[in-house]
Amino acid sequence: MKLLSFFLAACGLCAAAAQAQGNYEIQVYGADTVAPRSTMVELHSNFTAKGHPAMVGLAATNHAEHETVEITQGINDWSELGFYIFTSEQSGLGMQWVGDHIRPRVRVPEKWRWPVGVSLSTEAGYQRALFSPDTWTWEIRPIIDKTTGRWYFAVNPALERTWHGPDVNLGIDFSPAVKISYDFTKQITGGLEYYADYGSITNIASLHNQQQQFFPAIDLNVSPKWEINFGVGIGPTSATDHWIVKGIVGRHFDWGKQKQ
Amino acid sequence: MEPTIQVRPEDSVCGRTTSRRAFLTAAPLAAGALWARSSFARAQTVPGASPPLVEPGVKPDYTLEISEIEWELAPKKKIRTAAYNGQIPGPLLRVTEGKQVSIEIGNRLDREEIVHWHGQWIPVEADGAMEEGSPMIPAGGSLLVGFTPRPAGLHWYHTHAMAQRDLKRGLYSGQFGILQVAPASGDPGRYDQEQFIVLHDWEPYYTASDDGSMMVSYVCGSVNGKMLGHGEPIRVREGERVLFQILNASATEPHWLALPGHKFQVLAMDGAPVATQATVETLRLGPAERITAVVTMDAPGVWVLGEAQKAFRDAGMGTVIEYAGRTGKPHEPDAGKLMWDYRVFGDATPVVHRPDVTIPLVFTSRFKGHGALDEWMINGKSWPDADPIIVHEGLRHRLVFDNRSMDDHPVHLHRHNFELVSIRGAATGGVHKDVVIVEAGTKVEVDLVASNPGNTLFHCHQQDHMDMGFMTLFRYA
Repeated sequence: MKLLSFFLAACGLCAAAAQAQGNYEIQVYGADTVAPRSTMVELHSNFTAKGHPAMVGLAATNHAEHETVEITQGINDWSELGFYIFTSEQSGLGMQWVGDHIRPRVRVPEKWRWPVGVSLSTEAGYQRALFSPDTWTWEIRPIIDKTTGRWYFAVNPALERTWHGPDVNLGIDFSPAVKISYDFTKQITGGLEYYADYGSITNIASLHNQQQQFFPAIDLNVSPKWEINFGVGIGPTSATDHWIVKGIVGRHFDWGKQKQ
Repeated sequence: MEPTIQVRPEDSVCGRTTSRRAFLTAAPLAAGALWARSSFARAQTVPGASPPLVEPGVKPDYTLEISEIEWELAPKKKIRTAAYNGQIPGPLLRVTEGKQVSIEIGNRLDREEIVHWHGQWIPVEADGAMEEGSPMIPAGGSLLVGFTPRPAGLHWYHTHAMAQRDLKRGLYSGQFGILQVAPASGDPGRYDQEQFIVLHDWEPYYTASDDGSMMVSYVCGSVNGKMLGHGEPIRVREGERVLFQILNASATEPHWLALPGHKFQVLAMDGAPVATQATVETLRLGPAERITAVVTMDAPGVWVLGEAQKAFRDAGMGTVIEYAGRTGKPHEPDAGKLMWDYRVFGDATPVVHRPDVTIPLVFTSRFKGHGALDEWMINGKSWPDADPIIVHEGLRHRLVFDNRSMDDHPVHLHRHNFELVSIRGAATGGVHKDVVIVEAGTKVEVDLVASNPGNTLFHCHQQDHMDMGFMTLFRYA
C-alpha cells in the first residue's frame, strides 16, 4: 500500500516528479489481517495544509482534501483482500476520482506462535496521470510488528515499482514506514509514525529529494468494532508536503457465523 | 428477624483487622495444628522437613511421578509437556469416601511443583495450595500426602503451580487427572458403563482479545489426551445407559459439549448430586467444572461427542461414539444455540435461607497495556496484597460474586463447596458446587457454611487470571 502517496516517480528524476506526491492513505500496517467472514470499511481523510502548487499537467496538493475508501474482506485466518477508491477534492477541480488499487495480504498465522507478527502485502493499481505521472504501480510490503505491555512497534519496509509512467525504468523504490506507540489508557494510544521514500534502491535520492514525514498520532480504541486514528504530519524535506492532517475511521462488519 | 452482618472487605466480622504480616506469621501455627489433627504429609527429601506422620515403611496407595514427556495427541501432532506417570490425563485414582488414602508424589522436574486435590474437604497441608500453607514438592524431591477423601463424587487433581507468562507451566501443561471418590455406601450403579471424559487445550499462545488486552488461545484440543479421530472410540450398544464423568481441565477455556441425537441427564455437578436431574442437549463446563451425566444410547450410529463449537472441534476436541455394528463417518454436533442456566438443575421452589454474614466480592480488572494481560482484583486488591476474607466456623455466609469486568470467571473455593442461591438476581437452590462461572457484568450469590477450618484459597480457575492476581484467602476467625 502506498504510504505517503503514489509516489513520486523517482525522486532524482526531476523536480516536477518530486512534487508529484499525493497523500491518499497514510497508515503504518500492523500484521493482523481482517478476520474471515468480516469486512473492514475505512475512510481515510487527509488534508494537505501546506503542499505544492499546481504544475503543468499535475494537480496541486496544497489545500487538497483526499478521501480514500478502503474495503478489506477477511478470507481466512491468514489472508485478506483489500480494495481502494481514491478521490481528491480541491479548489477549481471539485471532487475527482483518482484511481483504484487492489491489495491481497497474507500473514503468518497466530497459531504458528512466532514471537512477532509478520505479514506480506502486495498492492497494484491505477491512478490518473493528473494526480500521479506514474499511472500503474505495484508495491510489496513486508510487515513486522510486536505488542509488548503498553508498547507497540511496527515496521513496513515497502518496495515499489512503476509499471507505466515516467519512472518505469527507475527500478524499485524503497519506502519504509515505522510506528511506535504507547497505551496511555485502554482507549487512548499515542505514538509517532514515520513515512519515507528514499528513491530507487540502486540510486538513493539526496536528502533534499527524499520524502520524509513524521506524524505524531493517536489511536482511539473505543470499541473492537471501530478503528480511529488521527495525526498531524510534518514534512521537513522539499520533496514532501510540509503539513498534513490525517484521520482514519474504520468499522468492522461481521457476516454470518463467526469462528468462536 | 436474625441480624445480617454486612462485612466491609477491609474489615473482619469480629471487628478486628489482621495485617498481612500478622496473618503470614499466624498461618503456619494454624496449619501445624491441623496437620497433627487429621492429615499427614512429609517432604521426604527436604532437609529439616516436618517429622513423618506416616509410619516408616508404609506403602502408599498410589504413586504419582511428575515428569516431562513427549505425548502424541495425534500421529502427526506430538507435544512436550509435564504430566503424571507419563500419561495424559494422569492415572484415574479411585478412592472411597471416608477411607484414608496415601499418595506419594515424586517430582522429576527441575522446578518446584504442587498437586491440588480439587473438590476435597481436606486439611490445608494436604490440599495442595502453597498460598494456604501446603508444602511444595522440591525439584527432584517427593512428598507423601495422605487424607480422608470426602465428599464423594467426581473430583480431580492437578498442579497448582503458577504459570505467570510461561505457557508451558501450570494447567497449560498435562498435569491433571481424575479423582473419583466412591460413596461410602457404595455406588448405586444404575448404568451399564462408565466413561471418563477429560477436556484440555494445548499449545497456548497470546493473542489480542476483543476487549483490548491479551488473552490465551490454543492451537489444538483433546479429549482424554487424544485429538478427535485419533483415540479409541467409545463403543456402546443400543439401549445402554452410559454414565459420563466429564471434566474440563482446560487452563482457561470454557467448553460446550454435545452428542448429536442424544441428550444428557445431569446427575451431579462438581461431584455433588443436583436437586433436579434435568435433561439437556448441550453441556457447558467452565475450567475445573465437572458434570456427571447419563446418556441413554437410543440412536444407533457413529457420532462425535465433542465441542459444540466447530472451531474447537476442528482443533481436536472430540471423541467418537460408535454403536456396535455401525460404521461410517461420525455425525458431528451442530452448535445451535448455546444456552446454559444452572437454575435448571436447582430446586423448583428453593428453600430460602437467611445468611448469618454477607460478604461482597467484587471482581474488577486493571488495564496493563494492549500487549499485556489485565491485572485482576477482588475488592480492589490483587494477590498477594488482597485482604483475607474472614469466615466463622458454623455460620452461613452469603458470598456475593459481583463481576464488574468484561470476562466470565469460573471462581473456585478450595476445601469447601457452596450452594448457588441466585444467578443474575433469580433465586435458586439445591445446586452445590466448588466452581461457578460468574458471567461478565453479572452477580451470582452462593451460600458457604464454613465447616473446614484453615486457610482456604479462593480464585478464578482461569490460569491467566489467577496468575495475574485473581486470588484471595478465606481465613477462619
